[in-house]
Amino acid sequence: MTTTVAISSKEGVVLASDKRASKGFFIGSKDVQKIYPLDKSIAVTIAGLVSDAEYLINLAKAERKLLALGRDFPLTVRETAKLIANLSYRALKAYQPYYAELLVAGVDADGPHVYSSDPSGSLIKEEFASSGSGSPLAYGVMESSYSKEASLEEIKTLAEKAVRAAMERDPGSGNGVVIVTIPLSGGQTVVSKGVN
Amino acid sequence: MAMEGPGPGRSPFFYGPDGRLIQVDAALEAVRRGSPTVGLKTKDYAILASQVRPARPLLTPSEKIFVLDDHAGATGSGYVGDLMNLIEEARVQAQRHRLVYDTPMDILSLAKHIGRYFHSFTLYTVRPPGASIILTGADPLGIQLYQVEPGGTYFSGQAAAVGQEAEKALEVIIQGYKEDMSLEEGIELARKAIGAAAGEEISVEYGIVKKPEGTFEKRPAS
Repeated sequence: MTTTVAISSKEGVVLASDKRASKGFFIGSKDVQKIYPLDKSIAVTIAGLVSDAEYLINLAKAERKLLALGRDFPLTVRETAKLIANLSYRALKAYQPYYAELLVAGVDADGPHVYSSDPSGSLIKEEFASSGSGSPLAYGVMESSYSKEASLEEIKTLAEKAVRAAMERDPGSGNGVVIVTIPLSGGQTVVSKGVN
Repeated sequence: MAMEGPGPGRSPFFYGPDGRLIQVDAALEAVRRGSPTVGLKTKDYAILASQVRPARPLLTPSEKIFVLDDHAGATGSGYVGDLMNLIEEARVQAQRHRLVYDTPMDILSLAKHIGRYFHSFTLYTVRPPGASIILTGADPLGIQLYQVEPGGTYFSGQAAAVGQEAEKALEVIIQGYKEDMSLEEGIELARKAIGAAAGEEISVEYGIVKKPEGTFEKRPAS
């Protein structure tokens, strides 16, 4: 279930998600958090089993904190994404995979980045990515409208449009949109919107 | 002192009567018998230098400068077998970091890892490695230089010296050090420092890492 998207532009990245939590054919909750900040300049979106996703994020947070304290500077977006992919891969090979697909997006000294990671431990760098049951619908919108030259404000609009398109036709997604914006300078802005 | 034999209820290992770690002191003493070895850095480069000396004629002397990874290198002094073991530990850790994070390992983390490795020996009735190591490399914080000792402590700074007459070598570097000296001046200073400590005709092996390339390279003995 769920629809989440992450889009990069030369001015920063945007992450967006719907707010619905499904329990089979029942709507379990209408206002859930699916975007988690890891620090000022990196955030992840989750899709799949909520418990697995939260546990994976907590593990990644702890490992990131330990490494950053040890070496006196924070992790890059790629280091963070690779760490999460490695945790996923190790779990897969132990026959206890995390049933979660995470989009890792943020900015660092090398600029804006979006990565997609799944239970197999794969790690793919993307200009834009989507996860969850509504992702085919969100991809349709992003494929037709994405431009490398778009401003942060434009990809923010695109992200919301992609999630809303998915909410229209995917029964696993709905109940409003949350949008997180991370400009090149770092710092996150969170906007939560209703159904319309 | 460690051979005095155990008193009632006291192990011959761990602390001496004055509160010092006997095994660590002995390891430091072993380092002081090693060949003179120095490291120095400016903001643009770091140089490792160590005297190489064949144990007997017609023998190729053992390697003293070691590449740890593309961006990092090390040297040291003391028992060469112990030193090689430390080098291998650092190399494995550098590759482990690449596997987990997909980036070159920063030098502070390397120094901390070797420090912990040393420290683990002080907790058990085993012999700590009789070698000190000097680590260098380029990372996102710049050119780095660290010295790690058998007790597990590490130091960072512009210069480090280990091995016989290390104080003499360090004194030469302190006197001749300039923040803006060229790479060739730096190499000459390192050679002079080792010459002062060795007090004889010397052959020195070098390792260099410099901006902007940030790759660690060996320079054969001369």
